[in-house]
Amino acid sequence: MEQEIQIRLERHDGVTVFDMHGDLTAFSEPFLKEAYNNANDEGARKILLKFQESAYINSGGIAVLIQLLAETKRNNQQIGITGLSEHFKKIFHMVGITKFAKIHNTVEEALESLSGS
Amino acid sequence: MGEEREMVRMLDGQTIEVSLPNRLGYERIAMETSASFARIVGFVSDRIEDLKTAVAEACLNAIEHGNKARPDARVIVTMNYKDGVLSVSVVDEGEGIEEFPEEPDILEKIENLQTPRGLGIFLIKRLVDQVEFNKMTSEGHMVRMVIKMRG
Repeated sequence: MEQEIQIRLERHDGVTVFDMHGDLTAFSEPFLKEAYNNANDEGARKILLKFQESAYINSGGIAVLIQLLAETKRNNQQIGITGLSEHFKKIFHMVGITKFAKIHNTVEEALESLSGS
Repeated sequence: MGEEREMVRMLDGQTIEVSLPNRLGYERIAMETSASFARIVGFVSDRIEDLKTAVAEACLNAIEHGNKARPDARVIVTMNYKDGVLSVSVVDEGEGIEEFPEEPDILEKIENLQTPRGLGIFLIKRLVDQVEFNKMTSEGHMVRMVIKMRG
């Protein structure tokens, strides 16, 4: 029942977008790691994590995300998040992810914020 | 535990039992069953989302920690609705939670001073109205969560 998250990288306005389809769980780790390595190879400075509103996200997935945020902090990269349901926006706030990554309501808003900074 | 059990069964008109194989990913069955039950009895969407996450997290703890990822173990989730109150118990074959994880600190986790794990219990406490951990029963270790319908 392991679900493979599909992550497609796109570039918009100097921002590398991780277009993520599927669920964020502990199983997502190798896929997120690979996407991040690819983004780094392309010299990404600004990253936007784009979720699907229907995504299932659990604490295992949040742990994987926290590890990614640790890397981006170390590498002085900027991270934004978009596409989350209202429920998971709340969860991300509770856990404190918003101290390290801004949550945006739309992709447009996110790109404007990231590329403008 | 170990006897044959249907995965989902109604125990009575207001009680549903879900028996899960001890595999990551299967918590979603309990999560969706509890969501359907909550929807039927009239909970609003945002409360249902809270319930889903709490149930999933309790099952994940049961699978990984309570049952120590043993493939032959099972997680039994029982949900009951009465008088505006939905209670969900998650039972694993373990001995209970010996040491509760410390309150998660995102900064410490980012700085690698705290394990990135341990968020399940934190989320459960914040999402449901009441939770009891470490209730030992004849079936094993139970976590019991209560979620009330708001007026």
